[in-house]
Amino acid sequence: MHSLGNLEETILLLVLAMDEDAYGFSVSEAYREHMGKTISISAVHTVLARLEKKGLIRSELGGATSERGGRRKRIFTVTGTGETALAEIKASRQKLWSRIPRLS
Amino acid sequence: MSYPKPPTWASRFLGWFCDEALLEEIQGDLEEAYYHRCERLGQQQARRLYIADVISFFKPYAFEKYSRVKQFLPMFDNRFKIALRNILHHKRFTFINAIGLIVGISSIVLISFFLNYELSYDQSTPGYERTYRLVNQYRDQVYTCMRFPSYYDSEGDNQMAVLEHLDNYPAVEKACHFVPSRSAIGGGGKIFAYVDDQQHELENILFTNTGPEFHELFPQQFLLGDPSSALGSFSNIILSESLAQRWFGPSWSKRRILGKTVQISEEPFTIQAVVADARPNTHFDFELILLQKDIPSWAAYTYLQLNENNDINGLLQQLNADVDLFYPGYTEDVLSKGIDAVALADIHFTPDMLYEIKPIANTGYLSTFGIVAIIILLIIWTNYANLSVAMYADRQREIGMRKVMGARPQDVAGQLLLEAVGLALLCFPFILLIVSLSLPHFNELMASEIPQDLIFSLPTIGGLLLLLIVTGLISGAYPAFVYSTRKTMHLFGQGLGIRFASRYLNFRNSLITLQFFLVVGLLSMTYFIYQQMNFIQQRDLGFTKENMLYFEIDGAEKFRALKAQLEALPEIQAVGAGGVPGADMYNQLTYKMKDTEVTLSDGTQQYIGLDAVQTLELDCPACDQLEAGKEQIFVINETAANKLAKIKGVSPEELVGEVLVTEPEWENEEFGYGVHHTIDGIIKDYKYFSLKYPNQSLLISVYREPGWVYEMMVRSNTDDWQTTLEKVKTAYSQVETERPFTPNFLEDRLRQLYESEARSGKLVAILGIVAIVLALMGLAGVVAYLAYRRQKEIGIRKVLGASVGSILLRFQREFGVLLLIAVVLALPISIFLATRWLSDFAYHIQPQAWVVAGAGLVVLLLVVTVIGIQTRRAANRPPMDVLRVN
Repeated sequence: MHSLGNLEETILLLVLAMDEDAYGFSVSEAYREHMGKTISISAVHTVLARLEKKGLIRSELGGATSERGGRRKRIFTVTGTGETALAEIKASRQKLWSRIPRLS
Repeated sequence: MSYPKPPTWASRFLGWFCDEALLEEIQGDLEEAYYHRCERLGQQQARRLYIADVISFFKPYAFEKYSRVKQFLPMFDNRFKIALRNILHHKRFTFINAIGLIVGISSIVLISFFLNYELSYDQSTPGYERTYRLVNQYRDQVYTCMRFPSYYDSEGDNQMAVLEHLDNYPAVEKACHFVPSRSAIGGGGKIFAYVDDQQHELENILFTNTGPEFHELFPQQFLLGDPSSALGSFSNIILSESLAQRWFGPSWSKRRILGKTVQISEEPFTIQAVVADARPNTHFDFELILLQKDIPSWAAYTYLQLNENNDINGLLQQLNADVDLFYPGYTEDVLSKGIDAVALADIHFTPDMLYEIKPIANTGYLSTFGIVAIIILLIIWTNYANLSVAMYADRQREIGMRKVMGARPQDVAGQLLLEAVGLALLCFPFILLIVSLSLPHFNELMASEIPQDLIFSLPTIGGLLLLLIVTGLISGAYPAFVYSTRKTMHLFGQGLGIRFASRYLNFRNSLITLQFFLVVGLLSMTYFIYQQMNFIQQRDLGFTKENMLYFEIDGAEKFRALKAQLEALPEIQAVGAGGVPGADMYNQLTYKMKDTEVTLSDGTQQYIGLDAVQTLELDCPACDQLEAGKEQIFVINETAANKLAKIKGVSPEELVGEVLVTEPEWENEEFGYGVHHTIDGIIKDYKYFSLKYPNQSLLISVYREPGWVYEMMVRSNTDDWQTTLEKVKTAYSQVETERPFTPNFLEDRLRQLYESEARSGKLVAILGIVAIVLALMGLAGVVAYLAYRRQKEIGIRKVLGASVGSILLRFQREFGVLLLIAVVLALPISIFLATRWLSDFAYHIQPQAWVVAGAGLVVLLLVVTVIGIQTRRAANRPPMDVLRVN
């Protein structure tokens, strides 16, 4: 089981949520939208590359648009391992939350 | 899409470093982001963010992947191996190159240290850009100090007048003044201090009554004690670290020295603190800071710091407008010509001011050193380039082979440059070693205190590495370019060496000519400097300087008693009071003939005893009047007489018996105006001051029995100064019990006048020799190489009947032509430079053209010898050995 950093977890979640439309720029935009702070594209790229190396996501090239000067995007999708990892993290968090007695 | 494309240079940069596999998606993402941001944030912001993004991708993640580096690495390894092999194979060239580089660059490092040391004078003082010293122009001289408003009533309150006035200006942040006792206005001489009943000599006390302000302007590093309490009250003293060590030993900090009482000039002072010694490159220093209400002087060095964004010129205007408020009667006084300021960092370089504390730097010398350093650098570069061309010429086939195997031009150039830079870098540790070994000697030679740890500081190491890399690149550039762009087949062809457009006008010959030019120029300059130093030392000064002793004495009574004792000794020839020549320039005064209008302002007044005239053997016919019974006479020297006679329109002799008025602007009861003197005679010119100044007008009062004496001279015919000195000392101690005996030789004092010239001359000479030896070494290398390359030619010539001599001559002739060109070029330039250098001296030699020609001849002889030795071997070999090779 790979350990996941905070940023890695967030980005993995974003990729999962974005479903078939996750690539460098769109992830950084989504991050800005959901987290309320900016992240550089190069940081997104490094995290995505790391996640791919860990086998949590996979990628393929496709979808050139004129906006990108006709260049293709690298579309990322979450693998089964990735989904399991997220589920595990969620479960363990849930367990912790349930131990806290009163929380409004 | 209405927005322009993102900045192309950034995109290209990305393309350069980025891994190809990642490039497409990254470029796409960045461009998409760019257009989005154009919409959202505007084009400018988007451009900026685009560039920031590109730069943020500049990290290992995006770099070209290892696959390429892996291809490249064995190549790189191979390059190193070949470089090392070549360096070892050409041991002789490598050795010449390395020695040249090490010696040459070490000299350059030392010169840069020295220039940096001199040029950063006073720049360690915080806020030095805003700090100024006030100076005062009086008559035709500029005084580096500000006088106190009244000469006669110079007490604490009166002394504060200028500073108190400065406080009124909002532009002035703080101001202070002080007087070091070693300065011309501090009285000089030795002062005695009593610590724990032990007597110590003090040479340089810094007197101030503005302690806190002094510390604010020139912050001191307190090692012991507290600034506020130490500086706060008078009768405190602050020791420098070295003085604390001298008085209390190396473990001074463990002994309780604070609060100790020290008697200085019969007054008690309390040690309140110890501070670090003054940095060597500041314009003043001290052994001890003494806080006292009354500074024992008539003036003080006065400094102020401006508030930020204030202009010194504005302040000076105001100051000169208000000057009467602190100097009563200043504007009415025709002799007082205004207050000026010198920036702190300029003090060390401002010439011709009166009473400067430390000797100033001669910018002419500094630039000479800089020029010599550049010349050495040029010689190193040309040597290195010459030898590299020679070395690489043998490697055409190797380079051809590389090309056949697929090396691109940049690979070949890279290989050659790598070797050149590599050899240069190999010298790095040796240079550091040589510099650290020679720095103490250099400091001694130049009387500088460059710290040893400067060698291992970051700027030195970094600068040195950069210099070595640049040296390697510059000297490797030419061969690297030529060989890498050459057609492969030509490299295997019969044409040996590099082919040039013309036989004579080629790269190597131009370099050799440049070297000859530099060496001839440098040799002539060195000789001019040597000639000038000799000229000064051997010049007739108009007085006897040999076997002359001088020392201080307190008063006329003691002088007369001592004189009587000394004259009884057989080896003592003469004893005289006052007038020791070789003095620093001091204040001049105005004078005129009573019956003419023109007032001159360059007079220097002197009071000496008749016996001093006799001791110095001055040519003063009028002094016979004293022997005939007159008490006192007034004589002027020839310089003054000529000037005055010209104004009056008479011959100088006719001035005798006329009345001369000194300080005619001064009104008084006795004479109405000025002081009136009847000229009793004319004394032959003698050099009372340094030869750097032209003859000064001397106005001399000669006394049969001088009323007060503070220095005396003793002339002897002894061969054994040791014993004579003992005898003089014994006689002295019988007359004087308080002041210790401090004798000096007049010749030493005169030599000291030209000390900085002598030091600079020596340094230029040493550097000149270094440069010449380097150049000759390089030349030897090139000639050896050429002789080797032309073995076949020599062999064929011999077979056809040429003699060894005619072959040698052939070689010499080629270099002779180059040398001739160099001499012709060096002639005007060195004469011009020498004339500029010599213009600093009032008395100097004329730079002669034959010196340059002579230097050319010397170089010719050296070159002939070097070529002779190097070609002889080739010429003497049996021709068959050579011709059989292929």
